[in-house]
Amino acid sequence: MHESVSFFGLVGRVSKTLLLLVYALFALFPLLWMVIMSLKPDSQMFTTTFLFSPTVENYSAVFLRSDYSHFFFNNLTVSISAVLLSLIVGVPAAYALARFQFKLKEDIAFTILSFRFAPEILVILPLFLIYQKTGLYDTYFGLIWVYQLITLPLLIWILRGYFEDISPDIEAAAQLDGYSWWQVFLKVLLPLVKPGLVAAGLLCFIFAWNAFTFPLLLSDARAQTSTVVALRFLASDTVHYGQVAAAATISALPEVILALLIQKHLVRGLSFGAVKG
Amino acid sequence: MASVHLHELTKWYGKRRGIEDVTLDIADQEFMTIFGPAGAGKTTTLNLIAGIVAPNRGGIRIGGRDVDGLEPADRNVAMVFESYALYPQMTVFQNMAFPLRSPKHRTSARELEERVRRYAKMMKIDHLLQRPIQALSNGQRQRTALGRALVRQPDVFLMDEPLSHLDAKLRHSMRAELKEMRSQLGTTTVYVTHDYLEAMSLGDRIAVINLGRLQQVGTPKEIYFTPASVEVARLFGDPEINVIGARLRSKPDGLAGLQILGENIPIGVPSDVVSLLNGAETVKLGVRPSDIEIAENNGAGNFHGLVYSFEPLGTKSVLTIDASDGSRIRALIDGHRTFEVDRRIQFRIDPRSLVFFETEKEGFLAKSRLNRQEAGDG
Repeated sequence: MHESVSFFGLVGRVSKTLLLLVYALFALFPLLWMVIMSLKPDSQMFTTTFLFSPTVENYSAVFLRSDYSHFFFNNLTVSISAVLLSLIVGVPAAYALARFQFKLKEDIAFTILSFRFAPEILVILPLFLIYQKTGLYDTYFGLIWVYQLITLPLLIWILRGYFEDISPDIEAAAQLDGYSWWQVFLKVLLPLVKPGLVAAGLLCFIFAWNAFTFPLLLSDARAQTSTVVALRFLASDTVHYGQVAAAATISALPEVILALLIQKHLVRGLSFGAVKG
Repeated sequence: MASVHLHELTKWYGKRRGIEDVTLDIADQEFMTIFGPAGAGKTTTLNLIAGIVAPNRGGIRIGGRDVDGLEPADRNVAMVFESYALYPQMTVFQNMAFPLRSPKHRTSARELEERVRRYAKMMKIDHLLQRPIQALSNGQRQRTALGRALVRQPDVFLMDEPLSHLDAKLRHSMRAELKEMRSQLGTTTVYVTHDYLEAMSLGDRIAVINLGRLQQVGTPKEIYFTPASVEVARLFGDPEINVIGARLRSKPDGLAGLQILGENIPIGVPSDVVSLLNGAETVKLGVRPSDIEIAENNGAGNFHGLVYSFEPLGTKSVLTIDASDGSRIRALIDGHRTFEVDRRIQFRIDPRSLVFFETEKEGFLAKSRLNRQEAGDG
């Protein structure tokens, strides 16, 4: 009896590993394919699979012979600013929703969450008209503003849980220890919610960076982001798959680098309840 | 070092009463325990003194200084929380050093180090200073929390059930240590507890609070021997005090007597006690379980009953007796004797240590034997 259990346990472990492996391949293969495509010359695009003569021609075409870099930095500027704005607004908001009792508290929290309910395409038309009228169209600020619909709810709802996990006693203790409320917030609370802050910040950045509908319709030559511009390489006459792939690969880099840098916090941050006294 | 004065302190949480009209004077260097059952308003009182919550009405003075409206940081009080409220991201050393690094109490690095080590040694956690809080046992966390409060050398210590999460053995040894500690430090302390043993063993005086109102303030002896009401009497002592309805009547010898437990055994009442009873015809009698004695032989003054339950506790045993009129009496008896359930027994009540309460309002009326000395100086 005992051996049969361990036999099934072994089978379970092996099949679990196999399934995870299959999933990992499934998830990662498109990325691998993207990198491979970006290194292929146009002539070998459809004639080779894994064996080809690699070239950086696509990268130089994208970066040196087009204005892609401009839009790449547009995306960086807009996304980072959007996340920073969300942090400045969202951290106090999450704290207030976690700590204080006030009228309509749950309604406000739910309204913030509901920003994410509607698909972007549903609200884009009125937004487009408003942006045209108010002069926000094709400005950095306009994009940063509209990105709050994406980033703010996420940040507030993740951080609210973190603040709720911190006992109010800890705040009171720090105040009694001789700190003002602001110092308590900076020295005690922020370090405690840091894992959540990092995880939520990164998720926000990814969503902002990948945003497509908003920059597609609310910006033009000046403020447009790389996600939209990458499509330009699908011209009407020729389709430069290699260049699209090169643009996409470069586009993915900031996310990958960021995720690797804060990997340690990310795992802790997404497994909730990291704050234990 | 400072005295603490609470004046008609009142705090409502919406429609729920936290405390109401609590007026309390705590002398410099006094150890005051605030005792009461759960939800009585003990922690509210402490939070009000600390400035964590603001009162609706009333005022607080610490060391003669009005602290109403002052931030917690400006009151120079230190608090030990029931939940310990240690900073989980810091080590023991960092936790203890945290108050000394604050703008209010900034201390030079050398003195900080010296003070943290001194108090860590006192709390016997000097070998744990580099440990993160997560790696500590409850008892060690408790010591760290106490240490963090001590390093500051505050005017007043506030302690909110600091021992309640420890296991029974550790609680008793920590209680002894706290007692030792307070004699070394001599700082004014307000100590909240729901454990009457803690309240009695630690406190110079006890403030009994229930349902948000102050019930009685007094030394442990005053509260135990002359409780202000049946309620207070019930809160102190385990097993609980017996409260027996009694009828006053004249004995054949002309003196006042009590008839209790449905038996015709008048208990004599001294005349000076009678004068304190305000002519009441019925009273409630408080009888401590330790004042009930099991009679060996038949006797004129014996009450009769059946053993309802018998709990041996080592040196003492708790005997619950069904008396003739059906009321249940708890007796604390010598641990060497054994009683079977349903056995018929006879018992005597020591007439010299009865507490008399009003029948309706259940307030204190008199105490036989001790009332002249004990109640007099209270």
